Amino acid sequence: MKTLETEVLIIGSGAGGAVTAATLARAGRSVLVVEEGPWIDPDAVEPFSLDEMVLKYRHQGASAALGTPGIAYAEGRCVGGSTEINSGLYHRLPEELADEWRRTYRIAEFTPEVLDKYSDLVENELSVSKLPGAPPPSSAVLERGAAKLGWRAVEFARVFRYDHQGRGVKQTMARTLVPRAVEAGAQILAECRISRLLKRDDRIVGARAERTLPGGETEPVTIIAEHVFVCGGAIQTPTLLQHSGIRAQIGNGLKFHPTIKVAARFPQAYDHGDVPMHRVTEFSPFLTIGGSASRRGHVALALADSGGDYADALAAWEDVVVYYAAIRSDGSGRVTALPGFRAPLVTYRMTDADQSRLARGLLHLGEVLLAAGATELYPSIAGAPVARRAEDLVEWWDAFTPSTANLMTVHLTSTVRMGDDQSRTGADSFGRVWGFRNLRINDASLLPDAPGVNPQAAIMTIAARNADEFLSHL
Amino acid sequence: MLWLERQVVASLSGDVRPQHRLAIEGYVDGVLRAMPELLRIGVAGESIVLGAGTWLAARLGSRRLLSERLEGWEHSRIGPIRQYVRLLSSLVIFASEELAPDPQALDPSQPSAAAAGANGRG
Ligand SMILES: Cc1cc2nc3c(=O)[nH]c(=O)nc-3n(C[C@H](O)[C@H](O)[C@H](O)COP(=O)(O)OP(=O)(O)OC[C@H]3O[C@@H](n4cnc5c(N)ncnc54)[C@H](O)[C@@H]3O)c2cc1C
Repeated sequence: MKTLETEVLIIGSGAGGAVTAATLARAGRSVLVVEEGPWIDPDAVEPFSLDEMVLKYRHQGASAALGTPGIAYAEGRCVGGSTEINSGLYHRLPEELADEWRRTYRIAEFTPEVLDKYSDLVENELSVSKLPGAPPPSSAVLERGAAKLGWRAVEFARVFRYDHQGRGVKQTMARTLVPRAVEAGAQILAECRISRLLKRDDRIVGARAERTLPGGETEPVTIIAEHVFVCGGAIQTPTLLQHSGIRAQIGNGLKFHPTIKVAARFPQAYDHGDVPMHRVTEFSPFLTIGGSASRRGHVALALADSGGDYADALAAWEDVVVYYAAIRSDGSGRVTALPGFRAPLVTYRMTDADQSRLARGLLHLGEVLLAAGATELYPSIAGAPVARRAEDLVEWWDAFTPSTANLMTVHLTSTVRMGDDQSRTGADSFGRVWGFRNLRINDASLLPDAPGVNPQAAIMTIAARNADEFLSHL
Repeated sequence: MLWLERQVVASLSGDVRPQHRLAIEGYVDGVLRAMPELLRIGVAGESIVLGAGTWLAARLGSRRLLSERLEGWEHSRIGPIRQYVRLLSSLVIFASEELAPDPQALDPSQPSAAAAGANGRG
């Protein structure tokens, strides 16, 4: 069996792992990043394509939380993690929410000054910016519809670098912090899955892994480490901890932003290469309205989700764009590792309030799209009628039930909540797992609740803060 | 892929060219293999039960086409049966559209759909 040694082992190379790796490597620590997925050139596959799903998504995108309704979800599985497949939308953690988390979970050093300092660092490092020119028509729809209704809408910044001609390149972790960590001396071991952490008393002494070799065969690897950061994301991190026998407050409290879609047909063709960057924020933080990837396959899927006859709309797919309503949910879920299975059982229970909030969100989404000039709306509710006028939307209210609504999410958080209130959290204020001196979490799992906005900004900010705090103890 | 899954994919992908059908089938097969084990077990269980029912009905002389059965399952009162049809049809729909032969692919003077999509990001 192959054995590797390192001072710091980082498991996962996504938003949390890459920030941690770059921070620690630049500080001169010896860092080994182990990533289960492959290392794929960020330019190798088209964004939002089927190839991207096959190569970069965990389970090729076919994951779902069981519940009524079930909720499909997605995670990245490649060097760079979900930042390779996400839309790059960036929104700082709202200050009121950070304050609420600080008080409820007793999180030390979680003031606006501290968070702003690390957000500034992340934003400079990743060139977070807004579009230099006018938004594409699919995005302007949201602004226009909201303006007609007197609602607030804003353009979100993105983790994008724009050149002088306005062409943007998403600054994924595989394009930015992973290579920068390598430049600073970190090593990356891709296609290597950590299956179990090795414990001795209150320390983790290393990890057991399985590495996939170029021919497809696998080899067992043992990694000896002085410090371990688990950054596998909100589903995989608790799974690994539970498989390693670490269970206290681990895996419960999973939070989603449950999301429902509408395919909107317009009288003319729209752009389909990118996602809209505008959001209707009138009902934030409990409800957000935005736009999704709308390649031909996505349009077809969204149309089919309405369960009716959509052949005519599909034939004119270039006139159709997919939008969504997403909520901050009062419900929660659980990740449970099952002996003998790699993938955990994931369950999620939406409350009645969540369901009516989402149904209301769907109606608001319909209103804004009709106000912006959409001529036909196909909601992701089996059997719901196509809406052509505002009066038609009321029928969606009754059609929305747990068994007819087709829901999904790409925002997963809160399975190892952070804070000094040990009765509610799995890790301390800086991500150190209770009961272990050298085991830390540094990813989406730490967020004590769903942020109500796109989460990567909060994840990276908190990861940078925690990595700095770790360094201060060495 | 199990017997019924193959039949369902063939039925849902409709009248497409054999190569396109093979590509769709290959994609669906890949996703079913990649699914979380527990979900795959559930889907396989349904394929076996529904497949056995379909096979038996045919042996007993039923003339109901698979497409008609699928329509019934899609509106079944049993959630997992509805979800079974939804899963397979979502995979087939996405693959049929995304793997559709590109009509411009043979014309080198035209930018391909792929390049247009990538440029659209900027
Ligand atoms: C399709 C999609 C679109 C999104 N759009 C946005 C957006 O526009 N804006 C936004 O803010 N957020 C967005 N998100 C969410 C955001 O990308 C994630 O919240 C964020 O990347 C999570 O960071 P993380 O470090 O927790 O996990 P990830 O970034 O998912 O990284 C975890 C990594 O750990 C690896 N790993 C897991 N377990 C192991 C193991 N046992 N051994 C080795 N490696 C392991 C995984 O393979 C993965 O690469 C989107 C997500 C998706 C899926």
